[in-house]
Amino acid sequence: MTALLLQESITTGVELQQYLVLSAVLFSIGVYGVLARRNAVLILMSVELMLNAVSINMVAFAVYTAPSMFVGIIFAIFIITIAAAEVGLALGIVLRVFRNRGTANVDEVDSLKW
Amino acid sequence: MTEGLNLDYSLLIPEFLLVGLVVAIVGLDLYAPKMKKTWLAYIAAAGLVAVGAVSLGYWDTDDNFANIIVVDDYTTFFRVFFVATAAVICLASATMVAEKFRHPGEYYALIILSTIGAIGMAASRELMTAYISLELLSFSLYVLVSYQKFDAKSNEGGLKYLLLGAFASAMFLYGMSLIYGITGSTYYSEIAVGLQNPTGDFQWAMLMGLVLIVTGLGFKVAAVPFHMWTPDAYEGAFPPITAYLGTTSKAAGFALMLVLFSQAFEVVHDDWSWMIAGIAAATMILGNLVALQQHNIKRLMAYSSIGQVGYMLMAIAALNSDTAQALLVHLVGYMVSNMAVFIVIIAWYNMTGKDEIADFRGMRERAPLLAWVLAGALFSLAGLPLFAGFVTKFVLFQSVWNEGFYWLIAIATTTSVVSLYYYLQIMRQAFVEKPAEGEESRLPVPLLMNGLAAALMVGVLYIGLYPQALFDVVEAATDVLFV
Repeated sequence: MTALLLQESITTGVELQQYLVLSAVLFSIGVYGVLARRNAVLILMSVELMLNAVSINMVAFAVYTAPSMFVGIIFAIFIITIAAAEVGLALGIVLRVFRNRGTANVDEVDSLKW
Repeated sequence: MTEGLNLDYSLLIPEFLLVGLVVAIVGLDLYAPKMKKTWLAYIAAAGLVAVGAVSLGYWDTDDNFANIIVVDDYTTFFRVFFVATAAVICLASATMVAEKFRHPGEYYALIILSTIGAIGMAASRELMTAYISLELLSFSLYVLVSYQKFDAKSNEGGLKYLLLGAFASAMFLYGMSLIYGITGSTYYSEIAVGLQNPTGDFQWAMLMGLVLIVTGLGFKVAAVPFHMWTPDAYEGAFPPITAYLGTTSKAAGFALMLVLFSQAFEVVHDDWSWMIAGIAAATMILGNLVALQQHNIKRLMAYSSIGQVGYMLMAIAALNSDTAQALLVHLVGYMVSNMAVFIVIIAWYNMTGKDEIADFRGMRERAPLLAWVLAGALFSLAGLPLFAGFVTKFVLFQSVWNEGFYWLIAIATTTSVVSLYYYLQIMRQAFVEKPAEGEESRLPVPLLMNGLAAALMVGVLYIGLYPQALFDVVEAATDVLFV
């Protein structure tokens, strides 16, 4: 299957670098979001962007550098699964914070300091 | 695809037993509602001890499961280490959990699940497995930290831990993807082979990958500048979970680091050694200095543990077989001493409901045994002779010194002296200050807590006076990493 993907990519003229640039941009947007956003849910979404960047990287490397091995593609599937579990868990905790404090803004959740 | 791979499931029996124990504990909690809830803790602890005994049967094995999970003396060492820690934590939380939570089964189940994750981090020899184990440990800990649903502090600690933890694992993963792209493999041994060739154009990609991996692992072990979540998660969590965060989660991080850097990245030692040396220096200085101005005991222990992480990171920076041994010795000494301190904190919190340092006043009169254990364990953490901390720190510092990191050792010894000051602050409250008005009476310390504290103190003294036995075990455990 990976060989097929590779063939398709080559015929459409997409190179490995283009995938890597896409993933680096996506990752950077995610990092920016985590640092700049103040709402816990939006921070989580930014983390998801970073994880998706990793998945793109993994699949691109798998297809272009080791077409006979599926490790990168399997890794991407595991990342998707774990990300789903992470969001479920995180939303539960955000919900508890929201119930107890009436806000999901991380700047206002600041009773613990130094 | 599977020909030639060893698919011997009997190697994983301890993990299967732990999963069975999880199901049994949750089942008992649901189907035997009349049973006293403290029994769940005793059953969990007994089960964990039994699993530890089973794992001991794998001593001297050197085998692997499909090249992914290796069962050798290193794995056996950490299996016993993590299982023992979890057993102590289960016993220490028995009374408190039975009083406060409606379904304590899940609490013990999560502790055991996180133990499986921690073992996986030490045993795996492949990035994907290591990552999944790491997440199994972290996810269980996120839930445990925020387990007190209606306590705003617990929620807050959990939220901060979770957001930063998720951010860190994303970084860790991106680093892994870069390393995978360069070497074409996720197996440690094949990564080492791939990095042996001159990396040429990929030099920057490899450096970037290493930086991101160090960042991700730095978050997990709470190294400066990635430590911000630590004090908040420690203060917000239930006291036994704080103890658990400080031991298992850190030890697992170091177990993974040790294998990863010795098996996969040893060939590019010079490229990451300086990063970790710098982080170690910052961690020692900042952890110990900020600890000086803490007034909450859990926050103080958080910064003290950050300082200890700095000492352990030195061993990773100067990685060779000697420092690896010293690191494991120090981990064991730190685990026993830290646990002893936390048993005292937990027992005191159970009886008085307070966790400020000033609330420890008059402990010598109100609970003499606990006070003496506290003193011994704190002296051990500070590294005074007679106690475990002295021997383990001495071995650690000496092995790093031999590698030529003189400036790190200078910082380490100075900050050790600083740490004595804040440990003595706690002892001043416990021994010199008189109890508050109307609180002079002796406290009824439960036998279990006294017993645990005394047993851990015996451990601290044993390692301090006869360290040879520990050295022998650790030597066997690290030999397999450096062939």
